[in-house]
Amino acid sequence: MRKQFVFGVVAAMAVALLPAVSAAPSFADDSTFATCTDLTSCGGLSALVKAAQAEGTLNITTVLRNWADYGDAVDTFQAAFGIHINDDNPDGGSSYEINSIKTAPADAQPDVIDFGASHVAEAAGAPCPTDFTQCSASIFANYKVATWDDIPAAWKNVNGNWFGNYQGQIVIGYDSKLKKAPKAIKDLKDPAYKKVVGIAGDPTGAQEALISVMAATVANGGTFDNVQKGVDFYHSLKQSGNLSGATADSTHIATGNPKVWLDYSFNALGTEQLGAQIGKTFKYVKPADAAVMGTPYLFAVNATAPHPAAARLWVEYLMSENKGHLAKDLAGDEAANVKAGTLDGAKLFNSLMGGQNIFQMGGAVPIEIAAMTKKKLLIPSPSTIFVPSAGDKLTPTQPSVAQQATAIALLKTEWPKI
Amino acid sequence: MVIADDRIAPTPTKGGSNVSRIRFDKSIVGLVPFFLFLGYFLLYPIAAIVSASLHDNRHHLTLSLYHNLFFGNYRDAFIGSFKLAFYSMLVAGIAGAIICWAVVKTNGVVRTITSSAAGVLANTGGVPLAFMFIAAFGQEGLITKLLLKVFHWDLYAGSFDLYNFWGILLVYCFFQIPLMVIIFTPALENLKIEWVEANESLGGTKFQYFRHVLIPVLLPSFFSACLLLFASAFSAFATAAAMSNGTIPLVPLLIGNLVNGNVIPSEANQGDALAMGMVIVSLVVIAGYLLLLRLTRKR
Repeated sequence: MRKQFVFGVVAAMAVALLPAVSAAPSFADDSTFATCTDLTSCGGLSALVKAAQAEGTLNITTVLRNWADYGDAVDTFQAAFGIHINDDNPDGGSSYEINSIKTAPADAQPDVIDFGASHVAEAAGAPCPTDFTQCSASIFANYKVATWDDIPAAWKNVNGNWFGNYQGQIVIGYDSKLKKAPKAIKDLKDPAYKKVVGIAGDPTGAQEALISVMAATVANGGTFDNVQKGVDFYHSLKQSGNLSGATADSTHIATGNPKVWLDYSFNALGTEQLGAQIGKTFKYVKPADAAVMGTPYLFAVNATAPHPAAARLWVEYLMSENKGHLAKDLAGDEAANVKAGTLDGAKLFNSLMGGQNIFQMGGAVPIEIAAMTKKKLLIPSPSTIFVPSAGDKLTPTQPSVAQQATAIALLKTEWPKI
Repeated sequence: MVIADDRIAPTPTKGGSNVSRIRFDKSIVGLVPFFLFLGYFLLYPIAAIVSASLHDNRHHLTLSLYHNLFFGNYRDAFIGSFKLAFYSMLVAGIAGAIICWAVVKTNGVVRTITSSAAGVLANTGGVPLAFMFIAAFGQEGLITKLLLKVFHWDLYAGSFDLYNFWGILLVYCFFQIPLMVIIFTPALENLKIEWVEANESLGGTKFQYFRHVLIPVLLPSFFSACLLLFASAFSAFATAAAMSNGTIPLVPLLIGNLVNGNVIPSEANQGDALAMGMVIVSLVVIAGYLLLLRLTRKR
């Protein structure tokens, strides 16, 4: 009896291990897609769509559906092309994404990552040169999307090793039931907000919290070079008892604490939707005393991507400036028609709402916003959530990666003490 | 396996007893899956962390990451973690011991219910636990609202807050006290009624019984139970992560920022060194626990 049991356990373990061992990449592809560096060298958009469809799957990582309206992008891509998207560890961070490329088994690696600009050096495994745009990592493939020229030069690697995609602006969110609606960051000191002022995490762990401290710095007359004034501001909030320890994420906000908080503009949509589900109304306003954006997030294609064609199609799609259809507008037979040869892949691609406009829908600032405005391709941002304010007229500024590093060094020692 | 038996068992030289100890025991085969599991999911990761913590981010061998643990925010985090673990050990140790005392005086049914409940509660932790407290005692929590409506007592009028050091301590007690009940009850159950009788028949007072019998018998198990509480609070991560923004410095939260954060690049190795610091603290605590356990057993 006991022996049988032991044998059973061993056999069960062996069976459990089998799929892990034998799950080799199922798709042997024409190797051009692993090395092509733009649409032309990939053989054109239609060929790229076909190859991506043949791969059938795309691995992404650390993507939240509510973050910059990624959910619409994922749904539309899956529905239009019939490519299944695996999203590993939605709550992870940039370090996790880079580690996944470096250490995960070949077929489980992410095809594309969306990561923070401070982490390029980490990916490269060495400090970046003074000219940040020269910094490149061998774990990334060089690839230039079709809209390459519309990405500001400061936020793309010269060879296409990585490129900016969107950024967030610091906005004030609040529960509409509050007696006083905040209009500026300095308003958070108001005694009416006792114990309910939130920050979106630990500034040494969450980018949106770090940039919130920078915005508080600017609102208090400081500059990006030294965020001490922002630290002092949060210190005074803590002293007055206004600062809540509750992280300003949508779950905590839904529980009723915090009720006033700073966060990236592209988290507004998800929080507003969650509020609607539980009968609460959350509003957002651009602060009148600081218009601060974070450094842009970046895309990079994994050099050893398990689905190289799908990876390239995904970045082409998310960097596309087109206005068009979302998943809900599709008939549902598009992917099959492309496979059958009755619909051209490029035609389908161009009929879709491009990723840059989806980021705009999510309240983010698409990196190609200037070019899109000029071409009249930009759709309006969600106006129902954002209350008009004096802050709308300010021109947003952003820190450099170097200024961000200086701020982190200060915050590592100063933040735990506030 | 028979062949293996013959090869491994050495020819008897000095005495029979030696042979039977070294002889290949077939039951070990049954443990192979367990050892594989242990090796892959515990020993291998520890080895990887040791190695990473000894290299800087340019792959040079160094002890500097350990040196850092004694300074700045890393030192503060260790102090914070020690403080939280120590206070929760103190509160839960004493409260738990009192509950144990009450439990062993009760009869079968109450005792069964209490110990089953303790078993469940001691394993409630992480984010669900944090949210249980937020749902009950948060600013819009059920109990907060109930107190306000029925007793007109505003829980938040004073300095009460869930999201500070004391709030986290309160939440920790929720799983620490039941844990104490589980590990300390057996020690109280072992007290023999004959000892009380012996004390009385020899003319001893209650205080003398307490001083010369209870304290020496129970103290080692009380301390060893407290050490387990310390270790349990020292290493908890998810509850604290759900309830703070880094304004309460704790080692597990720092490790989270370094290894999985979005802000600090290229310092995952420092996180590994912090993790090793925690391993060392845990080893010291467990060594203390085992030592006290041996003292108790000898008695």
